Amino acid sequence: MTARRRVSLMVTCLGDLFFPDVGFSIVRLLRRLDVVVDVPPAQTCCGLPLFNSGYHAEARAVAARTAELFRDSEHVVVPSGSCAWMVKHEYPGLLAESGLAALAGEVAARTYELSQFLVRVLGATRFTSAVPGRVTYHDSCHLLRGLHESRSPRTLLENLSGAELVDLPGADECCGFGGSFSVRLPEVSTQILDKKLANVEATGAGCLVACDAGCLMQMRGGLTRRKSPVRALHLAEVLDGGRP
Amino acid sequence: MTTRAEFFARIRGELRKKPALFAASTAARPEHPATQADAIRRELAERWPETLEAFRLEFERVAGVFHRVASLDDVAPTIDRIARERGARELVSWHAASVAGDGLSRALTARGLGVHEMPAGEAADGAERARLRAITARADLGLTGVDLAVAETGTLVLVSGAGRPRSTSLLPPCHIALFDRTALVESLPQVGVFLEAWHRDGAPPADGAVVNFITGPSRTADIELTLTRGVHGPKEVHAIFEDGGLRG
Amino acid sequence: MVDIARRAGARMAVKSKSMATEEIDLNEALEREGITPVETDLGEYIIQLAHERPSHIIAPAIHKTKGQVAELFSRELKRPVEADPEELTRIARAELRQKFLQADIGITGANFAVADTGTVVLVTNEGNGRMVTSLPRVHVAVMGAEKVVPSMTDLMVFLAILAKSATGQKLSVYTTLVRGPRRAGELEGPEEFHLVLLDSGRIAQLGGPLREALSCLRCGACLNVCPVYRQIGGHAYGHTYPGPIGILLTAMLEGTGSVKELAHASSLCGACADACPVRIDIPKMLIELRREVGDQKIAPWIERVTFKLLAQVLVRPALYRLAARVGRVLQRPFARGGTISGLPLFLDDWTRTRDLPPVAARTFQERWAAEREAAP
Repeated sequence: MTARRRVSLMVTCLGDLFFPDVGFSIVRLLRRLDVVVDVPPAQTCCGLPLFNSGYHAEARAVAARTAELFRDSEHVVVPSGSCAWMVKHEYPGLLAESGLAALAGEVAARTYELSQFLVRVLGATRFTSAVPGRVTYHDSCHLLRGLHESRSPRTLLENLSGAELVDLPGADECCGFGGSFSVRLPEVSTQILDKKLANVEATGAGCLVACDAGCLMQMRGGLTRRKSPVRALHLAEVLDGGRP
Repeated sequence: MTTRAEFFARIRGELRKKPALFAASTAARPEHPATQADAIRRELAERWPETLEAFRLEFERVAGVFHRVASLDDVAPTIDRIARERGARELVSWHAASVAGDGLSRALTARGLGVHEMPAGEAADGAERARLRAITARADLGLTGVDLAVAETGTLVLVSGAGRPRSTSLLPPCHIALFDRTALVESLPQVGVFLEAWHRDGAPPADGAVVNFITGPSRTADIELTLTRGVHGPKEVHAIFEDGGLRG
Repeated sequence: MVDIARRAGARMAVKSKSMATEEIDLNEALEREGITPVETDLGEYIIQLAHERPSHIIAPAIHKTKGQVAELFSRELKRPVEADPEELTRIARAELRQKFLQADIGITGANFAVADTGTVVLVTNEGNGRMVTSLPRVHVAVMGAEKVVPSMTDLMVFLAILAKSATGQKLSVYTTLVRGPRRAGELEGPEEFHLVLLDSGRIAQLGGPLREALSCLRCGACLNVCPVYRQIGGHAYGHTYPGPIGILLTAMLEGTGSVKELAHASSLCGACADACPVRIDIPKMLIELRREVGDQKIAPWIERVTFKLLAQVLVRPALYRLAARVGRVLQRPFARGGTISGLPLFLDDWTRTRDLPPVAARTFQERWAAEREAAP
């Protein structure tokens, strides 16, 4: 018998404050796959919002604290591609100046965005849909171009029992969120979003799936504002149909 | 304005600050480009029919019109046909020595075309230069030779020089270029070898100030991204391939 | 440049497309000397008639419809003109042909220069580059000092990259290699040739944070894929070079202060870096610019205070939890049916066009802790 895998969930600030259900879906999915899940206490944020706005000293302090929280984790699983990218791609450089290069490198190597962890580490691809019918998938920029991952989420959705994945035209184009960009240039951000949502509605899908809480906040905010019947859900919520 | 010395000193100063920043290496250059150019020519002499076919495909893809004739005797009829189809009467040509020799001009004149062959060297004075320019600007057809025909891109490479004015392939609305198998090369890197050779250790085809790469007719998409041809340069480019060899 | 033109006794200068001359406002300088600059790239000609500036590096008049172009042409020619691209192109050919033949001086940019042969390289699809370098008596090329490549071998690599990324061609229609004025025996070509190298902040970046931007070929590929550029167009950037690369070039040429707002005009989606044929990491450098803007304290103080406060909250979990509780209280008047559809003051920047999820009644970590206690 092999030892059970252990995962520490990095719930992220948006996941913690606005989308707690996503976190619980992830916990259920992992437990069903016989993974032991823990949530290191007193988490706040990965520091990406500070980093991307150019506040690097401040981001470094936040990143150092977060890396420290996951020092002993076997695997770190993150619900958002952007936060996973921050940890994997930016922590090593950012924390080198604090003498934490080794820690940052280790945590970076053990960190996975959820879909990548499910497919590439666990080899788990068979789930039951929580939202029967047509679904479509939006590539989050950081997951797609930062972590070069477009396959894993699609593998999961293609194999999802009870759901049919349809292609989203321009799936790889930005939703217009961009963190502080969404409030610094709200008009432009919304125009980009409108284009995205028009593409979504044209697919006839009842559910729009994404792997990033930022994109979800933006796209869901646009969909409910236009009273669209399309729901924007996190991948974990969609995969979580086999709920006991 | 800055002096040359100041300018370079500034560049060196900045580069010294962080010496390892530009790690990118430059492309590997041939050590003896003329020798390599000869080697390319010899290799291609074996497989020129494939190269020609590849050139034809690319040249047509960029909207060039390709013609193939068996011998020099068939060139004049082909040009005559192109002229008749377009109602063209006046043709300017590079000096015969840079195209296919004297016979072609005579044959074209005999067929009733107004043939204006450019002089082998400079114009005697400004007035003569102006006269020749006016002829070129009025002409319907421009006839030139070709120094390299590039299969990869369908490109004609023309070196300017004595008897090879740049405007012959530029001002008339229809450019006709005549070439044989010796001009064929396969790729842009091979063109690079020839350019290096012409500059360093081989004999260039001519000693003018300009080398032009021509890849199809002049085009623009500046109005609503609609493709239109012949905005400044020729609207049509014809390439005539002669099988027998233009230089005997 | 004006000196050269004046010495040449020039009254009219024909120009082929050159962002470098846009950068130095050359047209205005020539006009002040009584020399008429005529743009000959069709797109540039159109915007010159409209008294505008290019909105795209490769397609400068992409913001104009054929109807608008026809109107400009009929105003110029004082006769009605049909709004058909083919016909408009024919008219431009005839008009500009006269200018090429009359002009005293030809001004071009340069796409590349080859160091070991002393060659300046011009790439065009229309052929105006050839006209401008062949017909006038004087040719002046203006180029950024970063455009030099070592050899012809390198040039061949870059020509293919530029054509593919700029317009999807294997090679642009005309590539013109110029190595000076007319040579002995040549019938035509300029008697004088001048090359002007522009520094304008470029050399200082050789060791600076924007050095990668010095590799830019001006192909425009990053503009075409940029979601922000596609929404706002080139003019909205307000400087010579638009789009994501334009923000970097503007910072390089005019200093960081000139892009304190522009540095944020990107969602950092990374499409530009993906499209860039010379792999310029544009998002990384935009972040770098934002950092400089913050470090130099030229960002608005309210913004700096906000981010510094945020950082304080994010390193103190107790404060973070408190902030969540405060948020829940403050959002009460605005949260209806699980969403927030309107907020007061600047917070409305989000909610004017989008709903906002409220802070959850219990955060994930609060629920998780509660469950642990219930079933340890």
